[in-house]
Amino acid sequence: MSAFLQQMINGLSIGSVYALMAVGYSLVYSIMNFSNFAHGGVIMIGAYMGFFLMTALELPFAVAFVLAAIGAGLLAVSLERIAYRPLRKRNAPFLYFIISAMGASIFLENIVVATIGPTFRTYPKVFSSTPFQFGQISVGRLDAIMFLISGISLMMLVYIIEKTKTGMAIKSTAYSIRASTLMGVNTDRIIFIVFGLGGVLAGIAGVLFGMKYTVYPQIGFITMKSFIAAVFGGLGSLPGAVIGSILLGVIETLTAGYFSSQYRDLIAFILLIAVLIWRPSGLMGKITEDKA
Amino acid sequence: MKKRAFFLLISTVIILSLLVTGCSPKPTEPAAIDEPTEDVDVEVVNVGWIGSLTGDQAVWGNCEFNTVKMLFEEINENGGLLGKQINVIGYDTRGDAMEAVNAVRRLTSQDKIVALIGPNASGQAIAISSVLEEMKVPGIATVATNPKVTVDDNGQVKPFNFRVCFIDPYQGAVAAGYAKDVLGFTKAAILYDVADDYSQGLTEFFEMTFKEKGGEIVAKEGFKFGDVDFRPQLSKIKEANPEVLFMPYFFKEAALSANQARELGIDAVLMGGDGWPSEVLIEMAKEAIEGSYIVNHLDFADPDVQDFKATYTAKYNLPVELNGYLAYDAVRVLEQAIQNADSFDSVAIRDALKTVSVKGITGQINISADTHNPEGKDAAIIKIVDGDYIFQQKYSAE
Repeated sequence: MSAFLQQMINGLSIGSVYALMAVGYSLVYSIMNFSNFAHGGVIMIGAYMGFFLMTALELPFAVAFVLAAIGAGLLAVSLERIAYRPLRKRNAPFLYFIISAMGASIFLENIVVATIGPTFRTYPKVFSSTPFQFGQISVGRLDAIMFLISGISLMMLVYIIEKTKTGMAIKSTAYSIRASTLMGVNTDRIIFIVFGLGGVLAGIAGVLFGMKYTVYPQIGFITMKSFIAAVFGGLGSLPGAVIGSILLGVIETLTAGYFSSQYRDLIAFILLIAVLIWRPSGLMGKITEDKA
Repeated sequence: MKKRAFFLLISTVIILSLLVTGCSPKPTEPAAIDEPTEDVDVEVVNVGWIGSLTGDQAVWGNCEFNTVKMLFEEINENGGLLGKQINVIGYDTRGDAMEAVNAVRRLTSQDKIVALIGPNASGQAIAISSVLEEMKVPGIATVATNPKVTVDDNGQVKPFNFRVCFIDPYQGAVAAGYAKDVLGFTKAAILYDVADDYSQGLTEFFEMTFKEKGGEIVAKEGFKFGDVDFRPQLSKIKEANPEVLFMPYFFKEAALSANQARELGIDAVLMGGDGWPSEVLIEMAKEAIEGSYIVNHLDFADPDVQDFKATYTAKYNLPVELNGYLAYDAVRVLEQAIQNADSFDSVAIRDALKTVSVKGITGQINISADTHNPEGKDAAIIKIVDGDYIFQQKYSAE
């Protein structure tokens, strides 16, 4: 029993990292209807920002954390300006947005490899590595803090979307961008805000990921899993992204723990495909028409 | 129009950045480091070297090339080999197997080398074997540990490939033997990378040897290259309650998994192979890996290697990397083979290489005619104590 609980905690902790990353994908998808693959690049840059703020400038963790989140938000906003807005102005097909996003993601990865270097970096220790012990079960301090920060960030996001006027505008833009424009919503501004929010979440995810593991140019690769989790939960749905991520984390962990770690990805993804066959729009997805 | 121009500019920048950083430039001709001398057959004999002088592994390649040049200079000062002077010609492979093949082609056809030293990487060493065979020139790899470097897919030994380091499976057997016979552990667990030949080779032979010696493998869990979280596997390993946990992979994953293992309360002794030694490992996981054991090629503090280390450092003002020690032994092996062959004919040197036996600085090297590997070569067992690599003993698997 304690082994099962320990595995559940492992799964929740892995899932909460996926969730923080997946929400960014879903947020942009709900408005723009395309998968922003540059999101992984923003997460990676966020992680590097946090790292250099803490090591080169020796800022305390809290300051570095906030600055990295803001920096990643700015990066995401400028990406939107440079890589997506020109396409949007000319009503380019969605495929072009995806190509542009992939280009941006490869660009970010390579610019880091070329300037900072391909080797990985380690964050200085902020929290003690002694875990909290509950009988046989141990919970890492960093895990607990990550879970907390992820939870607070996601709740703040939900608050912005559900309780503010801007949030209302975001929801209406997600429903129909053309109708919202007709109703007087400044959709350019909404898209700007959505990318900013997604970027801030990416920065937070990047710093937390970097602290827990390491920082390296291919962090974006991990975000593929969170993208899959977002699809599984239903792209465009925020609760879907969170639930999909947590489920993916738990399924992966339990597969590794109770069946076979060698076949973990195989079994976990067969399950996911089965779910998508049963519900093509994902667990909580509302959008059913075929979009990229 | 302006926007279009801007977009074009951005796309051009993206494409250019890909071209520049995505793939390193690969000119067709390998870069010549030392110009070959003209009179090949009068007084001077050419020996070739290949390895990475640029790129990720440049620090290792440069150390090898420096070592090889330094040793042959010494040999030349003492009258040369069989009365002739040796000229070393080295080419950069940039860590690329295609470049290695080109370089070996040029060395064997144009520079008429009698033997080749290097490369250090298994991928390149495997790629050049057909050229060596075609040109009938023997090659001695330095740190290429993959079994396939000297043996083809059907288990036949490749006639012109040799090496001076032990192979991956042997490391696994040494680790198992040491864990069982010296440390007295009977319950072992393994965590390994399912997508990596090196990790699989070590795992397979650790498991086999440990079981043969009467031990029990209580858990064997896999992960895939690129994973950063190992807790699901480690939680399962914890349930099995092993005395020793074998982790045959590289230092980054080793550091992450060691930290996570301790976090989950696994108190088993950790063991790793030659992928571990690194300053980064200590920095990332100092407390977690305290008391762990590593199987390595040699002990850096061994009295036998101090002379070489001092001479090298005095000459180049650089520390000696692991590769330098094995390049040193490759030169000693070649020197011995040429003396035994009493000839600079490359086929005669090859025949002599099959039975070479010299005391190298990384241990006694007895090349086996059946495998072209140094048989029964001692491995060095290193223990991590207070964040330092402390030599324990030489150990060889029967």
